[in-house]
Amino acid sequence: MQILEKTGMKAWNKAVSMKPDDIINLIGEKKLIGRGGACFPTAKKWGFAKEQESDDKYLICNADEGEPGTFKDKFIMENNPENMIEGILIACYTIGAKQAYIYLRREYRYLEKGLKKIIIGMIKKSGTDINIEIILGAGAYICGEETAIINSIEGKRGEPYLKPPYPAVEGLFSKPTVIDNVETLANVPLVMFDENWNPDLRLFSLSGNLKKPGIYEAEVGITMGELMKMGRPDGKIKAVYFGCAGGCMSFKKDTKVDYDVIDKAGCMLGSCTVIAVNEKNSIVDMAAVIAKFFEFESCGKCTPCREGTMRILALLEKISLGYAKPKDIELLEELSIVIRDSALCGLGKSSTTHVLTALSNFRNEFEEKCR
Amino acid sequence: MRGELDKIIDEKKLLLPILTEIQDREGYISEETVREVAKKIGIPMSKIFGAATFYSFLTTKPQGKYVIHICNSPSCYVNGSMNLIKVIEKELGIKSGETTDDGLFTLHIGSCIGCCDNAPAMLINDKEHFNLNKKKVKEILDRCRS
Repeated sequence: MQILEKTGMKAWNKAVSMKPDDIINLIGEKKLIGRGGACFPTAKKWGFAKEQESDDKYLICNADEGEPGTFKDKFIMENNPENMIEGILIACYTIGAKQAYIYLRREYRYLEKGLKKIIIGMIKKSGTDINIEIILGAGAYICGEETAIINSIEGKRGEPYLKPPYPAVEGLFSKPTVIDNVETLANVPLVMFDENWNPDLRLFSLSGNLKKPGIYEAEVGITMGELMKMGRPDGKIKAVYFGCAGGCMSFKKDTKVDYDVIDKAGCMLGSCTVIAVNEKNSIVDMAAVIAKFFEFESCGKCTPCREGTMRILALLEKISLGYAKPKDIELLEELSIVIRDSALCGLGKSSTTHVLTALSNFRNEFEEKCR
Repeated sequence: MRGELDKIIDEKKLLLPILTEIQDREGYISEETVREVAKKIGIPMSKIFGAATFYSFLTTKPQGKYVIHICNSPSCYVNGSMNLIKVIEKELGIKSGETTDDGLFTLHIGSCIGCCDNAPAMLINDKEHFNLNKKKVKEILDRCRS
């Protein structure tokens, strides 16, 4: 696996011999894009923060991997945390930050001690005065969103806020801040050091009805059939879900798993999470389970999401229990569109992707329940 | 707690780590502690309560000795988490968010804990238990009881 190659601080040593602008150019040329799901070019993000004139700047490593079905960042932190930390140091050097925070999700608390030890050792080895601190989250899906992380570290409720100001200009404690995902940062030393670094390789989190669920490294553009072959289907797979936020598709062997194709199907590949669902499961029940997730995790700040996720859940439970009429499916669809178009942040906007894609791919299952 | 609070605030500095440390020591974040923290760091009690009640792993109510967070997100769901939840609810006689009368267990049915490759899974006091089945769950509960 490319992601498990260790650079052993050689990338850091190379970085400090370079000018920050040259580092930014290099990672731009090599086409490193964010691996948290939004695919924003890392060089651009770093460039914005580097340009800002400020005595204090911050780097936040987003280790609040909360998308259901995703466990790639955990895999990296368990198997190659050194590269992530080296990436943090390089990012700090490039943008001019002296303080970095790793926002580690509470569910991964058991990783905290080990990470701390490695951080201390690596900082000593690097001879830098950059400080890396782990901030433990406290259980909130929304805190994977960058503005919500900022609020959370500042001690506020972990609610998102409208951008601008963008974090790179005015972020944590109102200072320029770069927020990068674990996988992105773990790739930074490889980009710097490995001539043959492949920008298209991703870590796919495969789970669900599979005999061999796990983390598999593959190029974007792999077919769904090849992915499933690695995960070894348990029963006949009828649907694949891209986490809870990414929506669902009918399983077709030939579907190319790349950002454009999945996007055109109304879904979102995001952080390359694929949950396989076999034909023993009802899509209506899946929808109710996912709706429960969003209802629970909605932060409550904006009305479309706070009220909407609750109404969506109620409608889906009604359909699932067989009390609904065909009219309710129309209402479900309309409400899903309204929430998608009017919620404040990504959580709310994507909270009904699974409903809309389930309705376009498996509408018959909903209709059968409404007779 | 009072004497220690200064030390915690001094050491942790940021509110979220302060609240986490308080909960680790006390089991929950009491109104009295919130009042003390508010006075010491100079922000309104309401703001601290706002933060303390926002997160699913922080609580302003006393919790059981063993706090169970069982996952019911899709990967665990399609691997039978619902049946396990029913077993736990029956064994303990409580629903999500409740604590047993003997103060031993608190149950939370919650979101993905990132153990999707070993589903179904749960956390008990931050420790992961995975590849669960009914028998395994009963054994784990029995071990906690003894």
